[in-house]
Amino acid sequence: MENTKELMLIYKDMSSISSMPTNGVNIMLTPQFYTIKREELPVKYAYQAKRIAPSLFDGLLEDVQNYKYFVVKEEDSWLFIAYDVEQIKTFLEQKGIEIAQVSKVYFSEQVADLFTAPVLLGEKEALVNLNGTITVLPQIALNPDEKPIQINANFTPKKGIAFEGGGKSFIGTNEAYTLASVFVLFAVIYFVEASRYGGENTAQVEETQALLENYPSLQSSYARKSISDKYRTIDEKERKKRDVIKALSHMIFKGSTLTSLLVDDKKFQAQFACKDKNVAKKLQELAKKEKFNTSKVPNSNDVQIEGTL
Amino acid sequence: MMQLKKYKNELIVGFTFLLLLIALIYKQGAVSGQTDASAGVALQELKEVIAFKKVWGDKKTTKKVDKLKTIVSPSKVKWNKKSKKLTASFSNLSNQELNRVIVKIMNLAVEIQKLEVKKIGVSYQVEFKCKW
Repeated sequence: MENTKELMLIYKDMSSISSMPTNGVNIMLTPQFYTIKREELPVKYAYQAKRIAPSLFDGLLEDVQNYKYFVVKEEDSWLFIAYDVEQIKTFLEQKGIEIAQVSKVYFSEQVADLFTAPVLLGEKEALVNLNGTITVLPQIALNPDEKPIQINANFTPKKGIAFEGGGKSFIGTNEAYTLASVFVLFAVIYFVEASRYGGENTAQVEETQALLENYPSLQSSYARKSISDKYRTIDEKERKKRDVIKALSHMIFKGSTLTSLLVDDKKFQAQFACKDKNVAKKLQELAKKEKFNTSKVPNSNDVQIEGTL
Repeated sequence: MMQLKKYKNELIVGFTFLLLLIALIYKQGAVSGQTDASAGVALQELKEVIAFKKVWGDKKTTKKVDKLKTIVSPSKVKWNKKSKKLTASFSNLSNQELNRVIVKIMNLAVEIQKLEVKKIGVSYQVEFKCKW
């Protein structure tokens, strides 16, 4: 989107501003408000360059902790600009410029190439491109043949900075983005969980509906309970009978023969003929493992096993 | 517009917090919706009843019971089936035949009312009463 806001040049000797455009203003700072350094660095991304910016200005700046850094990639090098936000804000307020009215802040160094002629800063000084670097010079030092130019919206660079929350924000930009990221992350997690629950719910409801269509007699929960209770009782009892028969069948081995078996609704009884005492003992142990009652038939090696169902 | 911009950070935090609240409410709604409907429990119950019906209410049980008559020689079987009740006796069964009969009975989805096995000499006699 084309930047249509007015670009205002900010310099130390400027007069106070009486009225500001209603839609805000972009400002361009002269080197009076920043310090630059150009370095050829083997880094690819601006955030990497920004990380090492403080060390580049080490010894050049006072109160280093007040400075922030702006980094732009140029053809062969990186342009580092150090600026003191509080100093700039204080100056703007002194000149009657509301911080909230400032949309973007640019540095004249960003568009050094466009300074093809001096730009006058009041009556005494001028902004010139001196060997590729924007510099403030006394007007007396200018070439009288050079006709000064004025900056306009065409001087607006692509990239600039914005004052955090217009200077009156209760939350810093970094904190705001961190909090926002955490909130968004949790919101996404909750949405995903909700859709999972919703999906499960829908799938279960659909499956229930499909089953009820196939078994219309089970529509009523009372009918379901009644059928379920009836069959559960049968299922438990019949499984038990079959488990007992299976367990007894495992007691038929060499030397042990089933001579009788009776299973009815309430109990079971089995008698095994055993070849000798050892077989009878082994059989009794097996029966005890199954928690069956055992007894030996008098005057024989036969074992009787019984229990309730 | 400028006032809004002034509180951009607060707006971002506020908006995302609102989003978080909406997501939380949406999730709670989904969770409680699931609990209220007890869809999972109802489905489990329904599946259980259907499974029981398939086993113990199988309409093919009568045919399956009839097959019991055919696994040993007809001369060894006395068969008395009325409606859904059976009284059968198998006599003179060898070990293998007894085994076959018992396995078949165990695999039938019927209520065993009486199963009696007696060894007579070297063969077995089986009395079987059931209903379904």
